[in-house]
Amino acid sequence: MPARNHNQWIAKPPLQQGEWIDSRIYSEQGIFNDEIEKIFKHVWVPVCHESELPEAYDFRTTSIGGEPIVICRGPDNEIRAFLNVCPHRGMLIERRPAGSFLEGQPSGNPKRMTCMFHAWQFDMKGNCVYVAREKEGYQDRLCKENVGLRRLRCEVKFGGFVWVNMDDNPSQTVEEWCGEPFECLRESLDAEPLEVFHYHKAIVDTNYKLWHDTNSEFYHDFMHYHNRITGFNDAYFARKNFAYKNGHVVVGTFEVNYENYEGFESRAELSFPKLPPNQWYMVDLFPGFNFNLRGSALRCDIVTPLGPDKVMIEFRGLGLKRDTPEERITRINHHNSIWGPFGRNLHEDLIGVAGQGATMSPGTEPRRILHGRHENETIHDEIGMRHYYDEWGRWMNRMPSEPDKAYAPPAVAAE
Amino acid sequence: MQANGHDKAAAVRDTIYRAALALDDQRWQDWLDLCAPVFHYKITSFSPEINKDMIYLQGTRKEMDSMVRMLPKHNTDHSPLHRHTSVYTVNVADDGKTAEAVSSVVFYQNMLDGNNSHIEAGETRLFLAGRYVDTFQIEDGKAKFVGREVKLDNRRLDKGSHWPL
Repeated sequence: MPARNHNQWIAKPPLQQGEWIDSRIYSEQGIFNDEIEKIFKHVWVPVCHESELPEAYDFRTTSIGGEPIVICRGPDNEIRAFLNVCPHRGMLIERRPAGSFLEGQPSGNPKRMTCMFHAWQFDMKGNCVYVAREKEGYQDRLCKENVGLRRLRCEVKFGGFVWVNMDDNPSQTVEEWCGEPFECLRESLDAEPLEVFHYHKAIVDTNYKLWHDTNSEFYHDFMHYHNRITGFNDAYFARKNFAYKNGHVVVGTFEVNYENYEGFESRAELSFPKLPPNQWYMVDLFPGFNFNLRGSALRCDIVTPLGPDKVMIEFRGLGLKRDTPEERITRINHHNSIWGPFGRNLHEDLIGVAGQGATMSPGTEPRRILHGRHENETIHDEIGMRHYYDEWGRWMNRMPSEPDKAYAPPAVAAE
Repeated sequence: MQANGHDKAAAVRDTIYRAALALDDQRWQDWLDLCAPVFHYKITSFSPEINKDMIYLQGTRKEMDSMVRMLPKHNTDHSPLHRHTSVYTVNVADDGKTAEAVSSVVFYQNMLDGNNSHIEAGETRLFLAGRYVDTFQIEDGKAKFVGREVKLDNRRLDKGSHWPL
């Protein structure tokens, strides 16, 4: 077909509903605001890994939907999550990304979360245990017992990841939410304790869903020389996508030939427990979390949407806690050779979604984004994105192809 | 320091600065020519988030040679990196055969691609900051890299890079 005029360019494609979406869902502030309120404040978010707070009184800070959160391990070894907000005047209680409350702070005592502003102190269960000059200021009108922290639902699950839900009454437990897609990795992740060895973050001018799309579709392997040379064979093209309830997707496994890339090596000897050598599973969780096990190293991507055209992605790499120093170095090398910030694949993926972000920034014309490849649900079939956007439409009560209209099931079942 | 120690320290500085120019100009083989056969390279950072020393990339001279030769096969942000390097300390061993040096380094990215080259091309941004911790062997008055650790301050690396730093 020759190049098209404007009307042809914006016309509906010759595909069925559900096989394309409107680019406004990647660019409009109102839709983004809805996503935060309707989706992110009600789903289970994997915020960190338990190995990041290994000792009692260790803490990590994070955020969901713009709300600051502190996660801490109590002296009872329980990991709990709270809003990182002082109930007095709304000060951020803990400002560091991680650390230990065992150390006293200038405004407070050891073993306490202390708001530096007015020295209010809280224990690891979120109880307020000290209000400076309490009786003098509040007499009998308000006391410590009235001003505990806001506790958040928190579970540790699937290889030790810490899951938090902003909703006090989530409709499902973590197991109910994503147990089925994790079934393919459950034995490998739960066989023995894991440990995070890699952390870095990217802030990219693109919509968070475009990052998740890239993790959900493998048609883009044409962009990755590494994946073409180590993967493209009959077993690769037979690799299946599996759709699960709640918008989750699993990309099935096959054996990767890492040694086909010059200078790289097989990962067979250090494959995760219960995982056949050099296999590669990918779990994509709605609305934007990814668990990617390539033989010897586990990667986890967590998105924090910052705006319709801005996302922070945190990248973690994990190995086995019992790794010898030599094994750990090998896992780190395997992880970073493709997934590190200076690896062969991640840079390409990030260029890809940044380019999409440039063409779909707020104010650009609405466009049709195609998700219509059908290849018997194998690796280059775009079922993953179709399944995701059907779920998105339900949560948002919007049609992904016409976001001003209320949700209706697609003409083509999302499989 | 021996009488000729100043000359050897100057040789170390010369090698560091020549490496900076070669890397700025993406003359990868010229950079590797400044490295001994036993050369080992790594990019590291400490993460307060996970309380771990991390290795972001590492390789032998042979592995780095493979990596740079494979670059044309990869899709890469074309925006050049330039580094400002200041050699802070050079310590030449008593026998004059080896040396260690610590340099401050700041990487700038001169945007060519960016996200939208129409808007961003031509702009220079701060990309990364850190230190070079280098070790050398010295022969015939010339210093060759035996090891280079690029100790980054950054854990936010955005699109990252395919290139050695």
